Amino acid sequence: MNWRVVVGDREIPIDLAKLPDMREVEPGVYSVLQDGRSFLFRVAPVNGAVLVSVAGRDYKVVASDPRAGGRHGRHTLGEGRQNIGAPMPGKVIRVLVAEGDAVQHGQGLAVVEAMKMQNEVRAPRDGRVVAVKAKAGDAVTAGAVLLTIE
Amino acid sequence: MFRKVLVANRGEIAVRIVRGLHELRIPALAVYSDADRDALHVRMAEEAAYIGAAPSTESYLRIDRIIEAAHRHGADAVHPGYGFLSENAEFAAACEEEGLVFIGPSAQSIKRLGSKTAARQLAKAAGVPVVPGTEDATREAEEARRIAAELGYPVLLKAAAGGGGKGMRRVDSEDELESAIRDASSEAERAFGSGEVYIEKLIVDPRHIEIQLIGDRHGNLVHLGERECSIQRRHQKVIEECPSPLSATRPELRSAMGEAAVAVAREAGYFNAGTAEFIVDRDGRFYFLEMNTRLQVEHGVTELVTGVDLLHLQVLVAAGGTLPLRQTEIQWRGAAIECRVCAEDPEAGFLPTGGRVAQLSEPGGPGVRVDSGLYAGFEVPFEYDPMLSKMMVWAGDRATAIARCRRALEEYAITGVKTNLGFLRHIMDDPEFIAGRLHTGFIPGFLERRPREAPCPELEDMAALIAAAHVRARNTNGNGAGAQRQGSVSRWLANGRAGVLR
Repeated sequence: MNWRVVVGDREIPIDLAKLPDMREVEPGVYSVLQDGRSFLFRVAPVNGAVLVSVAGRDYKVVASDPRAGGRHGRHTLGEGRQNIGAPMPGKVIRVLVAEGDAVQHGQGLAVVEAMKMQNEVRAPRDGRVVAVKAKAGDAVTAGAVLLTIE
Repeated sequence: MFRKVLVANRGEIAVRIVRGLHELRIPALAVYSDADRDALHVRMAEEAAYIGAAPSTESYLRIDRIIEAAHRHGADAVHPGYGFLSENAEFAAACEEEGLVFIGPSAQSIKRLGSKTAARQLAKAAGVPVVPGTEDATREAEEARRIAAELGYPVLLKAAAGGGGKGMRRVDSEDELESAIRDASSEAERAFGSGEVYIEKLIVDPRHIEIQLIGDRHGNLVHLGERECSIQRRHQKVIEECPSPLSATRPELRSAMGEAAVAVAREAGYFNAGTAEFIVDRDGRFYFLEMNTRLQVEHGVTELVTGVDLLHLQVLVAAGGTLPLRQTEIQWRGAAIECRVCAEDPEAGFLPTGGRVAQLSEPGGPGVRVDSGLYAGFEVPFEYDPMLSKMMVWAGDRATAIARCRRALEEYAITGVKTNLGFLRHIMDDPEFIAGRLHTGFIPGFLERRPREAPCPELEDMAALIAAAHVRARNTNGNGAGAQRQGSVSRWLANGRAGVLR
């Protein structure tokens, strides 16, 4: 089945029935042997995508499962559970929602302050809050999960 | 020898100090803030003391808490590392008053060398050249014109109270002088509360070369040669070398600068480790800038080339021991290069980044040393310096050291946190770097001339495939609930993290 995979601005059709000789040798680290050549790929999560590092190059990749029924093309990651991360390192000033709340696209979820600037973190889509991980006063790093919506 | 040493620092330098103490069979007492409970130095030390909240003003800069921790744990000496309180005369004095040995110079030496103008006067008294210029603030335009003409253009205006490039102006000709003084003065007034500026001869594209010193309390003082530190960005060093590539064409510089550095240190009654910083112009003339009264970040390249362990010597002389080596016994062998690995994004103006280290693979093999505070799962705190580790290599000659450095940087993998590893690797391929044509303006020039990396569609296609396979595996493996959770981000995120934590 074809996956829709976006690398940078390029959409690449992927057939996962045809995989090369690949082994996950450490968590997220893949040794790939192809045509007698050896490659090492490292995959790490980054803000709703993955960063694939190979041979000193980094590729940000959004990979979506076709069975998830991705109608919206490249941003099918907007479905299912979604972790909402802090946009930058700083301090949580307020959490504006509670577990179980229904939220609408664009609604404020939390306020994070960094370098004396307050930033509202907004819902990327409609959904429901399933987990709140942050509370007022928490110090957070960039990308730290504040809450999860579904 | 000491009973127990408090390490008043964090990150890679705290780890390096703990290692040195362990080699001397001295137990280490780490200190940590709220941000560093999980840090490597806390794990490696025998004992650890909590000293306060994450901001360094609440912890690593709190003299009272550090001294209290030393007493509570029965430590009898303190190693300050670099940064934080390392060049704070008040801290050194407080340690001495409290019966703790400060592993560094005396409070008096720190004070005397702490002010740039005082250090300059010391150098002059020792007969060591300084950059030609005025010692006193210049206010009158007429006087400034006369001084600048005497020095010869271009000249540099510097804020007397300044630092970090603020209140600094390059002036190329007399007609720019008056307005430049006005600008520099008002900038200095805003930044430092004092509008005083002085005039110096501008040395165009100098090299930044420094001399490592160490002395004991009995008047023995030696130098351990130079380090080339010209590759800097905004006054922060990025790559350092020992020896300087300049030594190949001007071998006489090492002993000339070494003797000058020793002369300044003698004038200040200096003991323990220190570094005299110089700039060197295109004709090989050197000028004393300042003395750093601490162990430097880049001390490791000197250790690799001389075979001397500076930390061991620091501890030995702090305990009152006699320096075990004479100047004539110090030899330099091969070449060493250090790269500072930082959590920063070279593609976004070198902005500090952060995050959690997802995977870590440090280089190994012949001639590689990594001084690091990292481990997989480490969350890079945003309160402190973005430097994560120092990667050093040694080889028999500079060309081999560059090849080795490039190879080791290729092996070095840090994911989850954006770093400058790729940027460092590209410097190793730069013809100017390879030729050893270094100066403090190197990085801006390099950023202009470095070749753009050609896209590689084959790798891109493979990356896409691996990413899809990875996401699928994470989606279907998660708690047997994969089928309902297709496209779920949290599942593979959680799994990825669980995997990292093993």
